[in-house]
Amino acid sequence: MSLQTDKRNFSERTTEGLGDSFMRTAVGSAQDSLKTRRLSAATALGDWEQWRNVGQLIRQHTLQNLDYYLEQLADNVERQGGHIYFAATKEEASSYIRDVVVSKQAKKVVKSKSMVTEEIELNHVLIEAGCELIETDLGEYILQMDDWDPPSHIVAPALHKDRRQIRRVFSEKLGYTGDETPENLAGFARTVLRQKFLEAEVGITGCNFAIANLGAINLVTNEGNGDLTAAIPKTHIAVMGMERIVPTLEEMEVLDNLLCRSAVGQKLTSYITVLGPSAAGETDGPEEFHLVVVDNGRSDILGSEFNEALQCIRCGACLNVCPIYRHIGGHAYGSIYPGPIGAVITPLLGGYDDYKELPFASSLCGACTDVCPVKIPLHEQLIMHRQNIVGQRRTGAADRLQMKAASRLLSSPALFGRTLRIAHSASRLMSKQGRIVRGPALIHGWIHARDLKQPVKQQDSFRAWMEKRKGGSEQ
Amino acid sequence: MTVSSNKEAFLNTIAAKLGRERKTNVQRPIIQDLIPDSYGELTNDDLVEILKEQCFFIHTQVIESNPEILQRTLNDLIEANGGGLVMTSGDPRFAEYGLEFPDAAVWEEAAGREENVRRAESANTAIIFADCALAESGTVVVESRPDQGRSLHFLPAHYIAVIERQRLVLRSTQAAAAFNRRIQAGEPVGSSINFISGPSNSADIEMKLVVGVHGPLRATYVLI
Repeated sequence: MSLQTDKRNFSERTTEGLGDSFMRTAVGSAQDSLKTRRLSAATALGDWEQWRNVGQLIRQHTLQNLDYYLEQLADNVERQGGHIYFAATKEEASSYIRDVVVSKQAKKVVKSKSMVTEEIELNHVLIEAGCELIETDLGEYILQMDDWDPPSHIVAPALHKDRRQIRRVFSEKLGYTGDETPENLAGFARTVLRQKFLEAEVGITGCNFAIANLGAINLVTNEGNGDLTAAIPKTHIAVMGMERIVPTLEEMEVLDNLLCRSAVGQKLTSYITVLGPSAAGETDGPEEFHLVVVDNGRSDILGSEFNEALQCIRCGACLNVCPIYRHIGGHAYGSIYPGPIGAVITPLLGGYDDYKELPFASSLCGACTDVCPVKIPLHEQLIMHRQNIVGQRRTGAADRLQMKAASRLLSSPALFGRTLRIAHSASRLMSKQGRIVRGPALIHGWIHARDLKQPVKQQDSFRAWMEKRKGGSEQ
Repeated sequence: MTVSSNKEAFLNTIAAKLGRERKTNVQRPIIQDLIPDSYGELTNDDLVEILKEQCFFIHTQVIESNPEILQRTLNDLIEANGGGLVMTSGDPRFAEYGLEFPDAAVWEEAAGREENVRRAESANTAIIFADCALAESGTVVVESRPDQGRSLHFLPAHYIAVIERQRLVLRSTQAAAAFNRRIQAGEPVGSSINFISGPSNSADIEMKLVVGVHGPLRATYVLI
């Protein structure tokens, strides 16, 4: 999988999402539950706003000094005998990892959930190289078994599937014969995957945050698969977006608290681990440790008007409150990064050519900005994208014409007044029983789902009514 | 294998995008004073209560014991888990408290990787001593060492952590600060520092919580 998960156009993708009533119910109830849990966990921490301020301060400080902290990280990883590789592009990153795996003559690779490895198309590259690669996060494993169905949520990747679909996948692909209770499905996956962990020669994980002054990485999970991936195989390769770094464990601790509470409403997830290459005398953990730091377009965001998007800690809280995500679902974004943060960073990483619609998939209600634990002004960044897209004349010619007409009309009081006077009769042909039913493309999105009343006659308008009652003479 | 060959170019690009020269010295902001404290002064008894309350939410049983009856408490728990192979860390505190588990496997450097992992995989119950515990989140903190491997906390079906009450602190803030003091003083820390809060779990299927996925199916804390 790459950044792009679906080659169809935006309108086809959203139509499919809107028509999938199971998915919409699942996303709606997941949002409701995650929203409530986030809120109670945030409240329990006390002074959540101050925690957000500290989170924002840490992220901004680290980004402003990113070269310094990455260099410190590199020195400390190497001091412990680990390897660090800086990859400017996704190709560099995935080829380096392939070369490590090939040099180990490894065939069996286990992976724990990592969005950046999706971005660099690592699975594809390793499978091409002849590896048996297994995603071990339960949600990701379900998707892999379902012929690599794309994830639809940053934190809960298989949110769009129900237990019956999962049972069918397990039974068709793995010969599962049990029932569809989540406990039994998970228990079955545990047994299958336990064997994979024990056999694996290489383990690949993402990295929630690298810790610069320690030369280690931080993994935040609930299942424990990340820890097993970094404990049993003799080689561990961790992959990180270059911005995912903190100076010390003290900053990590603040961000982990914000992350766990924002993502799943837990105080801390079951497993929060700080790890690096195995130390002398320790008998498990990796004998060989590689950390791959990926740029892949991030440095172009750094120092740009979208700089704050790099503060993201991938908690998914903005997805859980977004009214648009609720209705169209994660797949409609066509990106491994869906929701409000996806609509901001996907066009930055993948370009406007493929993703110019995403910044418009927002009501600009600002709920995302309100919940963001590191205070990224998400809806303002969406507006900046829109300005760029319009400024670069990337919207359709018909759209531009209509917007130009609307702008003329709305910026001249005289013209606006004249238009109002004739609005009723002019809209007669577009209307049926007092409702507008056809018209320029600009209003299609609205009238498709809602009533748009035909403008009333000039003498019945509110302005005319006010005019008549001026001075309070008429009751 | 190329080792950080392209580091310089990579870091130079970052500095250029930030519109300045590379930095060689940075003062990190002091954040400890900015973190709100919503608890005030707490006694050790308060911490125990906070821990017990949180453990209820994370599906973790807390048993209050004491050094005199610890052996019996642990024996009872092993039996409640259905017996089977027990594996402990090689922590010297097992001897200090006079604990003995006949036929138990012990994580030890001499056994080597394969044997330690094999023992942990076939163990029904793991028993370890917490290095420190966090009341607010119901967390035990453990470091990897030659006598305590990483997978000991994950492979056995049941997980028992013995927590000495005086090692309880309020939250992760204190634990992180303590580790960072050691790191800055140049003291070695384990190659894996684990903050473990209850059994493994997942909500990946229809957002329904399943307890016991890749790691332990059940976790128990014994307070002494």
